[in-house]
Amino acid sequence: MAVGAFSWIVFALFAVAAQAATLTLQSPRFTISASDASQLRSEPLSLAHKPTTPLSLGATDVLKLTFQVVDKDDGKGIQPHQTFLRFYDEVSGEEGIQPVKVTPGGKAKFELNMARPPASLPPTTTDPLKVSLYLGSFVHPPVQYELFDLIVPPSQPPAQHPEEASFHVRPEIHHTFRPEQKLPPKVISAFFAALLAAPWVVLLGLWSHIGPQIPHLLSPSILPFVATLAAFEALLVWYWVALRLGQVLLYGAILSIPTALAGKRALAALGDRRTGKSSK
Amino acid sequence: MPATKTAPPAKQSQASPLISLWNAYNESTSTRLKTIDAFLVFLMLSGIIQFLYCILVSNFPFNAFLAGFGSCVGQFVLAASLRSQVNPANRSEFKEVSPERAFADFALGSIVLHFFVYNFLG
Repeated sequence: MAVGAFSWIVFALFAVAAQAATLTLQSPRFTISASDASQLRSEPLSLAHKPTTPLSLGATDVLKLTFQVVDKDDGKGIQPHQTFLRFYDEVSGEEGIQPVKVTPGGKAKFELNMARPPASLPPTTTDPLKVSLYLGSFVHPPVQYELFDLIVPPSQPPAQHPEEASFHVRPEIHHTFRPEQKLPPKVISAFFAALLAAPWVVLLGLWSHIGPQIPHLLSPSILPFVATLAAFEALLVWYWVALRLGQVLLYGAILSIPTALAGKRALAALGDRRTGKSSK
Repeated sequence: MPATKTAPPAKQSQASPLISLWNAYNESTSTRLKTIDAFLVFLMLSGIIQFLYCILVSNFPFNAFLAGFGSCVGQFVLAASLRSQVNPANRSEFKEVSPERAFADFALGSIVLHFFVYNFLG
């Protein structure tokens, strides 16, 4: 269904186009005059080929372009819905569109005064601008004519787009890092390590001097507690060397149960010995 | 830390206050407390030496320094609190904490401290 409707519309359009008149230009002509109104160049334009020499305007010259838009078959003047002049710089890619006023009878006149250039003139260099005419209409097929090449004085270069840099490869970034920290020489480290043995010597000396006693260390109520505490310390050293966190937490949790039980027994025995029997 | 301190003897010509303090300490402190005191002195010396190394030479494996120094400080705090709780002269302040309970706390705290220190030592 949709295909049928679509093809009906296409056929209708072809029918309209086949019957619609084609547009053409009648007597296109250009004139270049200087600022004192003296004529420098004036020629009719041909729709088939461009003028042999490009048009060139000085800083104060005026270009006048006149033509009439007519129906090709009966020569009647037609006012197309859109009439545009396009200035296109092929080398830099800049272009400008200038609408042209056309009377209802099809007559059009366009004036380009270089002393006051229109905003539609693109940024120019010394390369020629290609000037073409576009005619658009709702009832006629569109038409495009390459009119002539135009050389105007070069203008300021166009402003660079603020994000232009992101469309090209950026310069490579060279990161600088803080230099690696170095260990001090081994001699110094060894010296201080040996120095740290001194407090141990002091401790052992003091303890031998004081002579603390731990009676009943080997009794069956106290020894398991001491053994489990030693096992805990061994577990921590093992963790430092080899184990991972989950493992040490698991083993520690398992080991804490006998430790707690042994500890209860040992400390209860000590407490009894302290209070119940002779005071220690 | 000992709550009782015998007054220094009447000023004798050769006894300085420090020596008389030392004599009083020696006489009035029990063996167990002296044991803990020796441990405290050891920890202090050890911590000082590590700190001197960090200042003078390098603090490069900073985590190692923190672990070592922290272990000294933490163990000192635990031992000091054990000593104050076990001291019979402080009985009035620690009525609900028996010496055995204090030792159990000390043991548990030490194990937890050692765990964190080994963790950080690297």
